[in-house]
Amino acid sequence: MTNQYIPYKMRIANIIEEAPLVQTYRLEFVDEKDAEQFSFKAGQFAEYGVFGEGESTFCIASSPTREGYVECTFRSTGRVTKALANCELNDIIGLRGPFGNTFPIEEWYGKNVVFITGGIGLPPLRCVIWNLLDQREKFGDITIYYGARTVNDLVYKDELEEWKNRGDVKLYVTVDPGGETPDWKGLVGFVPTILEQNPPKSENSVAIVAGPPILIKMGMPILGKNGFENKDIYTTLENRMKCGVGKCGHCTVGKTYVCKDGPVFTYEEVLTMPAEY
Amino acid sequence: MIGFKNAIYKLPVPCFVENTAQIEQLIFTPSCQGNLAVYLHKPEVKAAKKVGIVANIATLRSVLQLVSENQLGDIEKTVLTINAQNELLVFNNMDELEQYVQENFPVISDEDKKLLDQVNAMTRAERWQFWTEQFSACVKCYACRAVCPMCYCPTCTVESNQPQWIKVSSETTGNLEWHTMRAMHLAGRCINCGECGRICPVGIPVHLLTAKMNQDIEAEFGAKTGFSFKSGYALNTFKPGDKEQFIK
Amino acid sequence: MNIYTLKSSQLAEFFSQLIQSGKVVIAPVLKKSGKVFFEAVKSYDQVATDYIQTGFSAKSVVFPKVEELFSFERNDDSIEITNNLNSIPETVVWGLRPCDASAFNYLTEFFLRENPDTYFAARKEKTTLITISCAKADEACFCTSVELNPGSTAGSDVLLTAMGEDVYVEVMTEKGQAAIETSASLFTPSQEKSKDEYLAKLTAVFSMDEIKERIKTAYDNAEWKHESMGCFGCGACAFSCPTCTCFDIQDEGTQNKGKRLRCWDACGFGQFTKHASGHNTRNNQTERRRQRLMHKFKYSVENLGIVSCVGCGRCIRVCPAHLNVFENILSVTK
Repeated sequence: MTNQYIPYKMRIANIIEEAPLVQTYRLEFVDEKDAEQFSFKAGQFAEYGVFGEGESTFCIASSPTREGYVECTFRSTGRVTKALANCELNDIIGLRGPFGNTFPIEEWYGKNVVFITGGIGLPPLRCVIWNLLDQREKFGDITIYYGARTVNDLVYKDELEEWKNRGDVKLYVTVDPGGETPDWKGLVGFVPTILEQNPPKSENSVAIVAGPPILIKMGMPILGKNGFENKDIYTTLENRMKCGVGKCGHCTVGKTYVCKDGPVFTYEEVLTMPAEY
Repeated sequence: MIGFKNAIYKLPVPCFVENTAQIEQLIFTPSCQGNLAVYLHKPEVKAAKKVGIVANIATLRSVLQLVSENQLGDIEKTVLTINAQNELLVFNNMDELEQYVQENFPVISDEDKKLLDQVNAMTRAERWQFWTEQFSACVKCYACRAVCPMCYCPTCTVESNQPQWIKVSSETTGNLEWHTMRAMHLAGRCINCGECGRICPVGIPVHLLTAKMNQDIEAEFGAKTGFSFKSGYALNTFKPGDKEQFIK
Repeated sequence: MNIYTLKSSQLAEFFSQLIQSGKVVIAPVLKKSGKVFFEAVKSYDQVATDYIQTGFSAKSVVFPKVEELFSFERNDDSIEITNNLNSIPETVVWGLRPCDASAFNYLTEFFLRENPDTYFAARKEKTTLITISCAKADEACFCTSVELNPGSTAGSDVLLTAMGEDVYVEVMTEKGQAAIETSASLFTPSQEKSKDEYLAKLTAVFSMDEIKERIKTAYDNAEWKHESMGCFGCGACAFSCPTCTCFDIQDEGTQNKGKRLRCWDACGFGQFTKHASGHNTRNNQTERRRQRLMHKFKYSVENLGIVSCVGCGRCIRVCPAHLNVFENILSVTK
């Protein structure tokens, strides 16, 4: 019986300032043995802990196709994330995981995949995006709709450039009206608006929507209107989590534990749950 | 209308009546313990705008104290009580309520007086021993805070984690910190309804702490809690006649 | 199952032998406040016998109110993590009620069926449950409504039933047998007997089958608001409940040295589902109270196949507003 509460020791190997208050940490295992036995799949999350302060839940933002490290992207919001943000290169933090279910990527072979997200909803999907791009030939069209409040708030700015320049990804990057800078060359408009103006085709397609509740609320009907069925729309839910293994009770929505029965759900499944998320 | 009704298990329970059909359940007897004033803070009650409350003497005093702290301004309240002669009284304004309370001002119960005297007679070391023993049993359920009409802070100090003023886990020193902090926040405000001690699931006489604080405040400042809706809060009101014996 | 009888006058001797065998014995003790709580005892005369139910359940034996998950200390280059799970003593819990023993079954399923919990497992393995049947009940008891009864053996290692000059002893497990062996000479093998005349009589207040059916559509019932108005949002019900398992994880100490603990939490607290962003998925007390009851009577059935309420009545007795769980359930499933 493994003890689910003892964290792996991780060294902070790289820090990127993505946006105001948002950082990406690349973490490497202190113990070789841990690195060898650790593996995860796209969609799973982990509990990242600062010893003495507590733990915070974020998705694993790097792709499982890239071994030897784990990345997380987070915004400084509360006690633990602020303490995390105060850490420096080579500091040791704790990681527990991987927890949760996964995106059924194998079921998407040969299909078109559409990503719709905003702000810091991109990190959980970035894991999936790289997972697909690292095996590009297995999938049809890949389309990404991503927006943030202002140009500065966009995360993974370098990777957005990379995806734009690849040629095998259709990328719509937008900022909210008023959030553009004079030299901004991308789109301007809320993500749902951009989505409505450039709807993805639903035939042989799946969609993944993640991000602030308002995006999910507005994005889902647009997809529905364009022929997407609820079982082909995926999302990753967030809720207050502590243990990550379905015991502490904080993340429940009805009978569902977001940590162990999710966080990946189809929209069809989400509609069966009480609206407590 | 907030009142009491009979229930299956022993004591009358709080009852919330929203239409005339439900009025029949309301009762008011000496076994109606419980300080209903605490419900005046509930968002669902505040949303109703017009609220009636059936009050025992503790609740009446709580209402006076809350009005003096500017907490009940946003609801139109009708306060009722039944006096010792079994007559229904409806208070038309705070002055009437205040007069009734001052005429019927309660004295501390014999049982509580005995316990307070016992604790007061202890040496400092004995008192420390007494309270640490009591608080080692505390489980941090916060029922004492929940039931108190004076604990109405939207975010309690213990719910803050930046910094974590009071630790979350239950352990004797931390429990002592919680209860001492609460007693300090209630000094000169608690009206001694005794609910916190009555409902503590592990039987800690929490109400004695604030009863003692109030004894001290009355001695130092001449201030009685739940006595007038016009009185200020002893610990933040300056009067030139204050004794100030603790400042030398 | 092995059946014995024991002379009532020898119950104290059996108890003493358990203490002598070196086990920690946890039994109900009458406190100065007049309430009865489970505590470690050293002799039979400390044990309370004339009461209906203890204030808190015995779940703290396997799920303590504070549990150290690990301690840590920073050293030159790294952090050392120490986990002290090895020092759990052999423990006997004496004087549970059948409702409490059945609750241990639920706790075992909850903590061990999926993602098994090492801390619970370690403690449960060292725990023997010696239960005493109920000759009395009060208006808060409703075990017969949740398909239990005052003489149920579910979850017990040994069940004792007082039958006048004798005590009827049902040994259900090997652990129970080992406990009996500490004073084997006191026990006489016996035929199976009926306990009925020695047990409290409790009329069911509802039919569990009917409730399980009706609660499926109870989520949006307007009565929830009315039934939850008295709720203050404290943790008294959850902490006294033998099947509530929600907990918080807190770090104490400094970033250089300290420990990570888990401690009891309650879904009734306002902050239970509050995100760091401020968003709270259950934003009012009605939703929080509904969660508690739906979990006991619907969600735990859907997830584990067990109704997690055992009808012990503690929540009714400790509630500062004396909210009554079975009255509430009846009202929202009408």
